[in-house]
Amino acid sequence: MTTANIESATNSVGSPVRPVRKRPQTPRKTAATVAWIVGIVLLTAVVLYPLLWMISASFKPNAEFGSNQSLLPENPTFDNFVKVMEGVAGIPTWKFFWNSTILGIGAVIGTVISSSMAAYAFARLDFKGRPLFFAMMIGTLLLPFHVLIIPQYMIFRNLGMVDTFFPLLVGKFLATEAFFVFLMVQFIRNLPKELDEAARIDGCGHWRIFWSITLPLIKPALITSSIFAFIWSWNDFLGPLLYLNSPENYPLPLALRVFNDQSSASDYGATVAISVLALLPVMLFFVIFQRFLVDGVATQGLKG
Amino acid sequence: MTTGSAHAPVNTRTTAEPGTRPAGNRRTGGQPKRKGGKDNLAGYLFLTPWLIGLFALTLGPMLFSLYLAFTDYNLFTAPKWTGLGNFERMAGDTVFWGSVQITLIYVLVGTPIKLAAALGVAMLLNFKSKGTGFFRSAFYAPSLIGASVSIAIVWRAMFSTNGPIDNGLNLFGINLGGWVGVPALVMPMMILLAVWQFGAPMVIFLAGLKQIPGELYEAASVDGAKAWRKFLSVTLPMLSPVIFFNLLLEMINAFQIFASAYIIGSGSGGPAGATNFYTVYLYTRAFTNNQMGYAAAMAWVLLIAVGILAFILFRTSKSWVHYGGDTK
Amino acid sequence: MFNKFSRRAGSGVAVTVAAALMLTACGGNGGGEAGGTPDPNEEVTLNFTWWGNEDRAERYNEAIALFEEENPNIDVNGTFMDFPAYWEKRQTEAAGGGLPDVMQFDYSYLRQYGQNGLLLDLNDYVGNGLTTDTIDDTLLATGKLEDQTLGVPTGYNAWSLFENPALIEQAGVEGYEGGTSWEEYEEYMASVSDASDEVFGGTDYTGRIQNFELQLRQEGRELFTEDGQLNFTQEELAEFWSSTADLRENETVIPARTLEELLPKSGFGSNLTASEMTWSNFMGGYLGDTGAEDLNIVAPPTNDPSVKDLYQKPSMLHAVSAGTEHPEAAVAFVEFLINSPEVGKIFGASLGVPASETALEGAALEGPELEVKEYLDSVADRIGEPPAAPVVGYGALENTFLTLGTSIGLGSISPEDAAQQFFDEAAVTLAG
Repeated sequence: MTTANIESATNSVGSPVRPVRKRPQTPRKTAATVAWIVGIVLLTAVVLYPLLWMISASFKPNAEFGSNQSLLPENPTFDNFVKVMEGVAGIPTWKFFWNSTILGIGAVIGTVISSSMAAYAFARLDFKGRPLFFAMMIGTLLLPFHVLIIPQYMIFRNLGMVDTFFPLLVGKFLATEAFFVFLMVQFIRNLPKELDEAARIDGCGHWRIFWSITLPLIKPALITSSIFAFIWSWNDFLGPLLYLNSPENYPLPLALRVFNDQSSASDYGATVAISVLALLPVMLFFVIFQRFLVDGVATQGLKG
Repeated sequence: MTTGSAHAPVNTRTTAEPGTRPAGNRRTGGQPKRKGGKDNLAGYLFLTPWLIGLFALTLGPMLFSLYLAFTDYNLFTAPKWTGLGNFERMAGDTVFWGSVQITLIYVLVGTPIKLAAALGVAMLLNFKSKGTGFFRSAFYAPSLIGASVSIAIVWRAMFSTNGPIDNGLNLFGINLGGWVGVPALVMPMMILLAVWQFGAPMVIFLAGLKQIPGELYEAASVDGAKAWRKFLSVTLPMLSPVIFFNLLLEMINAFQIFASAYIIGSGSGGPAGATNFYTVYLYTRAFTNNQMGYAAAMAWVLLIAVGILAFILFRTSKSWVHYGGDTK
Repeated sequence: MFNKFSRRAGSGVAVTVAAALMLTACGGNGGGEAGGTPDPNEEVTLNFTWWGNEDRAERYNEAIALFEEENPNIDVNGTFMDFPAYWEKRQTEAAGGGLPDVMQFDYSYLRQYGQNGLLLDLNDYVGNGLTTDTIDDTLLATGKLEDQTLGVPTGYNAWSLFENPALIEQAGVEGYEGGTSWEEYEEYMASVSDASDEVFGGTDYTGRIQNFELQLRQEGRELFTEDGQLNFTQEELAEFWSSTADLRENETVIPARTLEELLPKSGFGSNLTASEMTWSNFMGGYLGDTGAEDLNIVAPPTNDPSVKDLYQKPSMLHAVSAGTEHPEAAVAFVEFLINSPEVGKIFGASLGVPASETALEGAALEGPELEVKEYLDSVADRIGEPPAAPVVGYGALENTFLTLGTSIGLGSISPEDAAQQFFDEAAVTLAG
């Protein structure tokens, strides 16, 4: 398919490209801007306060938990971070971050590829059994996962895959998280069908339409899915708990539980400190990827 | 299947090569408009990973849990068939009905508030482009925290006696004291926790807002529409597929609230059953009391109940959800 | 034997190693039948798992390294998790197959796993790879179920009363000496609560099933009958829960609402109560939670000090999975963990005061751990036979008891209704 074809197709249905606007600011607009800034700053403060409290709490010595509920520590200390950075039982802390990162990146790649393919089929292709399969996909969202744990564990155990990352990642490559499929379906269905049809007239097959038209146009949904897939994988506790045995393979959510065993002794300071540390990489991930959300349709590649 | 057959224009990769255009036979070829099946091959090809996942990983365990729902299964010995026994017991289980009640309140009150907050903030963030990156990250930050003991510590501190919420309300002359130890106030506390973590629907709304072509607003401006009017006549309809998605998914999520309730209630549904939401109770039955059969029965009751609600939502959606791909 | 050799040789092990193995193999070590020591020729990997914090993990790693040094052919894979997650994982494994070879085990789960044939009967190994005459008989019996030895206790603890001397001094009152009447304990709590604005004398003890058990044992009874049914009436339970109504009303004990706000810490751990009754092995945890330099541990109240109301509870046991492929190696590891003086030294009293004499000697307890040991010795006269291994579902009932106790404290349910709910729940739990 050539660039010209797509562009003509786009123009024929009215381009969703937003023209870049530059307008002089009117006084009314300035007032609105001020109100916007004040409102959003206040809202941000409210939303961020608990987080701030948490960060501050990571500098509280263990004994202050429970007795000092105020924002600031009475006796601030770095001990919590020192303890956390020492690692757990001879396993360095960076290893847990590394495991979480591998799992997160695997989840993003698997989810984006498999879910977008399934979503394209559901949203754009007319095949036998589509309503039934679609209903089944929604159905998989509805069952509380706790009752699926044991049968799924049996499957992976029989495959000899326990204590590897395989059980945690294979589902992502098989689009088992219907959330993402459904999310992308909603976005694809909202795209003008004329684009596909024009491309089809130009002789594009479904693979080309999917790859060159659909995927670029649902970039916001893909970015959104990537963000969620990464964060959910980063924070997943139950999957790693069931399928990983060796502490070297633990991702962060498992490692952080170890500072907090109610039956022996709990170090709340260290627990909060490692939670704060665990937050930094996902925060970074979000900050980087959210920038792509800004662009949206306005600047993205319809140009081939 | 050949290119010349009746339902030919299935475009697989081979027909997509430049120069091998299907010579316009699709437009001229009088292809019968059959319902279902014109893209069979491509459809199944695109769906292959999902189908493998469905049959290998999801469907089997689901059916197994359906079987368990009619048995007594303590995880240690083989399941014993009991017919409708679990369902009969459920009908008379007061703790079960208590959990149904608080879960319904949580869903019906919490979901609309969370979605309204998410949409409101998404629109605020869509308003300007300078500095929004920071705010977007700030608003999303709470949703980045996993359900760990840390969040329980933080949230308890926020709502304890002389915590920020208590002190803030005192300024307005409202003296509730700490919320954490008052069963009646735990529900609003849990709802506020969900609202605080509104990042997911917010980002989805934001992605949806980005998809709305700017000239629609300009056209509305030319017609003299005010902000509210634009919201009603452009934003809402254009956003409806995403609103529908968020509504359905947040509703399902709210019904399945588990992690936050589990950690805030220290796994026991406390205080006084105030965090004993449906799935928390289900989990207790499954893994604390080893009544997996009862838990599976509860799971299927939830599936059917939410399934009916979802079906109704899908039905009504035809009247208020507008897909760009259909209307233009 | 020879099959093993050819396999080993085929897998490319150096000739020198093979030769060394040949020599030991000729020593005639029978590894085939049940019992006996592990075959030193066989490369074995054992999976071992425990619950606990990072401090315990470090100690276990040290012990494992030592064991592997002594048994170069055995490789121990240690894994760990916090308590609730630990049991969820075990239950999934029990249902799906594949329990680890050696497990740190909790008393309250012993019957459930043992009854279902998931644990190896260690009787065949006693005196033949496993030494148990280092352990007191009544304590050893806690790991037995119908004559099978399913677990070996690592250490023991007993019900006790902790006091925070700093808070008592701050309140300017006399501490509770321990072992006197319930009235005196209540008076003591009132004296602290009256003297201080912030600090309370104690926690409402009716929230814990162990205190109910204690009072029943003081009357010569147990919580459960021999066939595993409740051994008390609904009225008795309601009465027990009502018995501290005055203490709750007068705020002699810390209000349940405050306790909820402190979770996951306890009132005692948050320096808000001057005393609390719990298991003696909480010493370490409480020292960490309170940040106090010193805590006192004394005997719980009793109206008749001659009654043997207390008992030695195994703080945890070591058990071997029935499905293990290497029972000898697993038993050797358990033997090492239980009896080795070096292991005693590594752990001190952090797994309870060591059950085995040899481990206890190696532990050379000092400081707070010695205080716990001295406490246990001091109540020797009050220590009687332990109750039968907890019924299946005991853990769940214990939780229900705690939850209902909290609800009573919060005023959201009456003691009578709570007792009704407890009995309803017990009927379901104990039936299945």
